[in-house]
Amino acid sequence: MLSRRHFLIASAAFSALSGLPALAQDKKTLQVYIDGDTNISNWWNDIIKPAFEAANPGMTFNVTITRGVGDGNDTIAQRALAALQSKTDPQVDYFEEIEPAAVAGSVEAGLWTELTTANVPNLKMINPAAPQAPIRLPYRGSQVLIAYDSAKIPAPPKTFAELVAWAKANPGRFTYGRPDKGGSGSNFVIRAIHEANGRDPLMFTKDNFTQAKADEMLGKAWVLLKDLHPFTFGEGTYPAGNTPALQLLAQGAVDMIPAWSDQSLQAMKQGVLSETVKVAQLQDLALCGGFAYSAIPTNATDMAGALALANFMLSPEMQTSCVREIGGFPGIDWSNLPPELKAEYIDVIPVSIPTFPSGDWQTAKNDGWYRFVATNIVRDL
Amino acid sequence: MSEASLSAARPPEGAFIEGAAGLALVAAPVCLLLVLVLFPTVAMIWQSFQVKTEAGIHFGFDRFAAFFGDPYSMANLRYTLAQTITSCGTALALSLGIALYLRFSSGRVAAMIHALSLFPLFVPSVIISYALVRFLGPNGLLQLLLEQVGFTHYRTPYLTPVGPYLAFVWENIPLPVLVLSAGLSQVSDHAVEAARDLGAKGPRILWEILLPQLRRSLLIAFALIFLGVIGAFTVPYLLGPPAPEMLGVFMQRTLGNLQRPAEAQVQAVILMAIASVVGAFYIATMLRADGGER
Repeated sequence: MLSRRHFLIASAAFSALSGLPALAQDKKTLQVYIDGDTNISNWWNDIIKPAFEAANPGMTFNVTITRGVGDGNDTIAQRALAALQSKTDPQVDYFEEIEPAAVAGSVEAGLWTELTTANVPNLKMINPAAPQAPIRLPYRGSQVLIAYDSAKIPAPPKTFAELVAWAKANPGRFTYGRPDKGGSGSNFVIRAIHEANGRDPLMFTKDNFTQAKADEMLGKAWVLLKDLHPFTFGEGTYPAGNTPALQLLAQGAVDMIPAWSDQSLQAMKQGVLSETVKVAQLQDLALCGGFAYSAIPTNATDMAGALALANFMLSPEMQTSCVREIGGFPGIDWSNLPPELKAEYIDVIPVSIPTFPSGDWQTAKNDGWYRFVATNIVRDL
Repeated sequence: MSEASLSAARPPEGAFIEGAAGLALVAAPVCLLLVLVLFPTVAMIWQSFQVKTEAGIHFGFDRFAAFFGDPYSMANLRYTLAQTITSCGTALALSLGIALYLRFSSGRVAAMIHALSLFPLFVPSVIISYALVRFLGPNGLLQLLLEQVGFTHYRTPYLTPVGPYLAFVWENIPLPVLVLSAGLSQVSDHAVEAARDLGAKGPRILWEILLPQLRRSLLIAFALIFLGVIGAFTVPYLLGPPAPEMLGVFMQRTLGNLQRPAEAQVQAVILMAIASVVGAFYIATMLRADGGER
């Protein structure tokens, strides 16, 4: 038999336990999952969080970093999908960056909330250059630019042809990273592919790859790049990644490289790159880039809070912070941002953000580059 | 072996228990080796001979023929072998020199050189690679120092075949020095002195007295360096040229970036075949030496 005393202790303990969540609910805490680099998670914790709390009294969020754990946010999304099917709490409100299509079955199962101006009013300001889908929110972007030392190059090249001409006139002063080791080199090679094929990025789609087509279309780009090869740094010793390329520029070993907008703007801010380093975009056709997409699961624990956060992230204040703090491009149109910010970044504001399909085209590009451009083996193209 | 002869002298039941205990002790590592190394290796070699066609799977050398018929892959293979042999030869020659110096000298300078020669043992490849980028790289310390004394024609070895070569040599000094020092300590002073008394000069002593007794140590040192360099990844990845690639880097790119596991498998089998020839040398040397002592 349970004595009265035991019963009292047990019930006291029980009520204490059940009281805990009630206390926690006094302040609504959203669960945000981030698998980006340190610059992104630090930005969320140090800048966005206090701003969000100030703008939304009684609300806060908790950042969980999934970088390097399993498949990062994809793993958490699969967990949310399982929770949706078993009708349990997914313990997720907001994915900072995710590609819904990459989480198998999630789109068909209705895991993702459709975001429209009805539930996220700031979507009316969205950047027209950002490819949109109602289930994903483009909120920050980056693009590959040409970073150059303005002390040595007063007028940067405006077209791909001008860039090649400059590189040939200044042997050893230009280089780009190996295309499989980082996006900056990869997107430069893609720009050469676009150049050789009439500057039409739409010619390459995920489904139109054939080997014969690749041999012909990429072959023309290899001629172009092979022609540039002897004039690059060390006569074709391409650095192995985004950072090694920036390092060569920082050491003054080269005067011009293609570089990611966010990485170079941040390096300039931190003083890693010399003060005379500037960035510019090619005007005949920009180098490739892309946006980071946020998404909200339909079974989010706190849907209203998650939508408020999405709207907050698209506010001009946070979008300005995106440009200033992490060197990203805004997800909303530049016309909604302070004019002085626009003036400061006028050289790098993308008119268009070309893309290149993933999959077979990427593989053919990387393999072909090693075989026909980087190598010094003589062979017929 | 001395332990074997000791246990043979004991009563048979004791030998049985001791033998069983010994087997039990090695059982765990041997099982681990079988499951985690030998089984996947055999499975991979087996698979590399499978050729998938629309008619089904048949066995043949098609995938190897594709590798050997591809000029790019062959250039990588040739480069890997050339890089391995040159860095191996240089590291071996340098460590032989250091070991000889240490054998016949003493004092503080010798102790310092000894410590310095072992230092690379404690530095990971990735650290040495980045250190070399800063030191030998464009506008690095070496170039700045050379320019101070008026030499302005420095061309950095960073991202050329010379970059990984220097790193490999630096990395592969300590172990051969240890192995060769051990070998040299077996050579008696009397033999060297006797040769000197008979009027033999340095090179002749080296050739006729020291080297014949060092053969085994040299082979072991060679195998250690060779096996380390031929499968290297970090050093050629960070310091080497984009193309040709060393097989370790090529394999990783074929598997990770191009996502062609079948081709990467063939590359791995070829690399393993080369390494196993040297490995066989190493094991044969060890076994012969054991037999000699018995």
